Amino acid sequence: MSGLLHFSEHTLQEAALIFMAIVYTLRLRWLLRFKAGRERQAPTGLPETSKARGIIYSWANIAMPWAMESTRTKVFVYVQFVVFHLGVAASIALSFIIPYVPKLLELSFFVRIFQIIIGTAFLVGILRIIRRVKSVYLRAISAPDDYFSLALLTSWFFLAFLSVPNSTAGGEWHLIAFFLLTAFFLIYVPFSKISHYLYYPFARYYFGKTMGHRGVYPIKHFPEIRR
Amino acid sequence: MSDSPARSQKAQKVLERFAKKLNRQMVGSLLACVHCGMCTDACHYVLANPGDPTFAPAYKADQVRRIFKRHFDWTGRVFPWWVKAKSVYSDDDLEQLKDIIFGKCTNCRRCSINCPMGVDFATFNRMARGLLVSVGVMPEGVAVASKDQWELGNQMGVLREDYLETLDWVSEELRQELGDPNAGIPIDVMNCDVVYAINPREIKYDPRTIADAAKIFHLAGENWTMPSEGWDMTNFGLFSGDDDLGGAVARRLYDKVEELRGKKLVISECGHGYRSTRCEGQNWGGVDVDFEMESSVITMLCYIKEGRIRIDPFKNNKSYTYHDSCNNARSCGLFEEPRELLQIVCNDFREMYPNRAENYCCTGGGGAMSMSEYSAQRLKSAKIKADQLKATGAKVVVTSCHNCVDGLTDLIRYYKLGMEVMQLVNLVANAAIVKEKVTAALP
Repeated sequence: MSGLLHFSEHTLQEAALIFMAIVYTLRLRWLLRFKAGRERQAPTGLPETSKARGIIYSWANIAMPWAMESTRTKVFVYVQFVVFHLGVAASIALSFIIPYVPKLLELSFFVRIFQIIIGTAFLVGILRIIRRVKSVYLRAISAPDDYFSLALLTSWFFLAFLSVPNSTAGGEWHLIAFFLLTAFFLIYVPFSKISHYLYYPFARYYFGKTMGHRGVYPIKHFPEIRR
Repeated sequence: MSDSPARSQKAQKVLERFAKKLNRQMVGSLLACVHCGMCTDACHYVLANPGDPTFAPAYKADQVRRIFKRHFDWTGRVFPWWVKAKSVYSDDDLEQLKDIIFGKCTNCRRCSINCPMGVDFATFNRMARGLLVSVGVMPEGVAVASKDQWELGNQMGVLREDYLETLDWVSEELRQELGDPNAGIPIDVMNCDVVYAINPREIKYDPRTIADAAKIFHLAGENWTMPSEGWDMTNFGLFSGDDDLGGAVARRLYDKVEELRGKKLVISECGHGYRSTRCEGQNWGGVDVDFEMESSVITMLCYIKEGRIRIDPFKNNKSYTYHDSCNNARSCGLFEEPRELLQIVCNDFREMYPNRAENYCCTGGGGAMSMSEYSAQRLKSAKIKADQLKATGAKVVVTSCHNCVDGLTDLIRYYKLGMEVMQLVNLVANAAIVKEKVTAALP
């Protein structure tokens, strides 16, 4: 292992992680400075609805494609979402496995699974770029950050796919590039749309709380659409 | 929008007030959007205007979000072009924003429940409306209704004499219909079990709903009253985003119920009135109330279940479908009780798809009926609702909302559907068995 690869895998990652943790902490502090709205009214709706159930339902919503019309009627888009985020999780895991538990990557089964997940996520990334460029609706709402973040993640999947075997037989460039990009992500993410996972629990918590208190969540009926 | 650095006084005020309006829920919604576009097809405006992205919920939300990003978000403040952050500078910018947040959205919340991230666009759209209203930028109809509600205590400018006179002749007709000298509408009676509040539209355009409600209360033997003042349960603060108006209007009604020492406030069938009075008013007004509040739909259902009124469903012999008011269904969870009631009072109920919390707006919501400048746009977007109605094959569409009655009536006329619009109170009153006139009885 070259000095550059060792630096990329360890010192750079650790510094970038510390930076991200600091920025996220500041970001959360900033968010929590805003006062949380309060609902004074007595709950409405059926007895099986409540604030707590609404929150749990709201958080679980993402794993229930049948719960929203938008996911129920666009199954392929939902599958893409799942694969893409599994790819993110696998690539993040990989950035820790390679420097800290490389023995795992000596198991060919493990390598194959990771490559399938990350490789499929890469293809989904390509599809998502095409969709964002082609759809008049997505173009209208997309900022440079949207295109850049998506392109960056898709490239990252590509490098992660190559890095999964953790082999330096053909050179180290792919591993170095993967870790350099990972470090860049850790620094860039808090300032980009990719930080949505930080806000997701908040937005969903408050929306679920509101809808639970108002007797809407959990939704019991999923109406058939006969348009 | 202009990029000029000079800022008009109104734009400056909007920005100053923006900061004060933000709470954690709203900031979460403003930050969480990932521009995935999953909300796009949830909006009836988009479905009726295919290919026009300016109707897409995320696009509309971004017109507010860009201001937030420009002034509050780190990246937006330093590299605004990177995240399409942009401030407002001129009065023209505010006018353009007005056309989007008032003219292209009914705040129906359908996109909110379809957002994977939990972004509640309707809530911050209402906030943005409030910001514009605070500097006098709003559709003319919103200004007029708000002024009437501030000054006269009801959004349709009904004078006290007209209100009392209407209740008087409704009482007289009810006495004649029932042949009972004790029937009628008690006014300002203290210590009643029920204080009944209505929509001024009922006084002005639809007094039969008051008569029907009075008939039901009378047949149920209810100890009830209507207030002589503070009787308007609607609240234009919901549509205009003006929390001060919302709080003042709600408090007026709450104070009246407390003054009369009423045990329960029953709210007549009105989606935005129910939501404003039952679910929002206390928050806007910063007050807690000691009495119960319920929709008249629940009251009527209870009367039937408790055997206080008896029903002959064969009196309602047409085919009926039910339209969920957005405010009732998506913001107050009131969707099962109206169905239960409707299925008791008629024999041919046909469900509309999609329904309940997923139903489409009547397109008259969010105060749209008062914004005549956007009528053509509204009626075009009503195509979605019209198709939904048509697919049921029903002759009558029933709804628990006066706003929806107007919105549906308008679109039924426009799309020549030949349907009738009714409220549950009409059907319950029609099917209620008056002792002398029993034709059939339920077991």
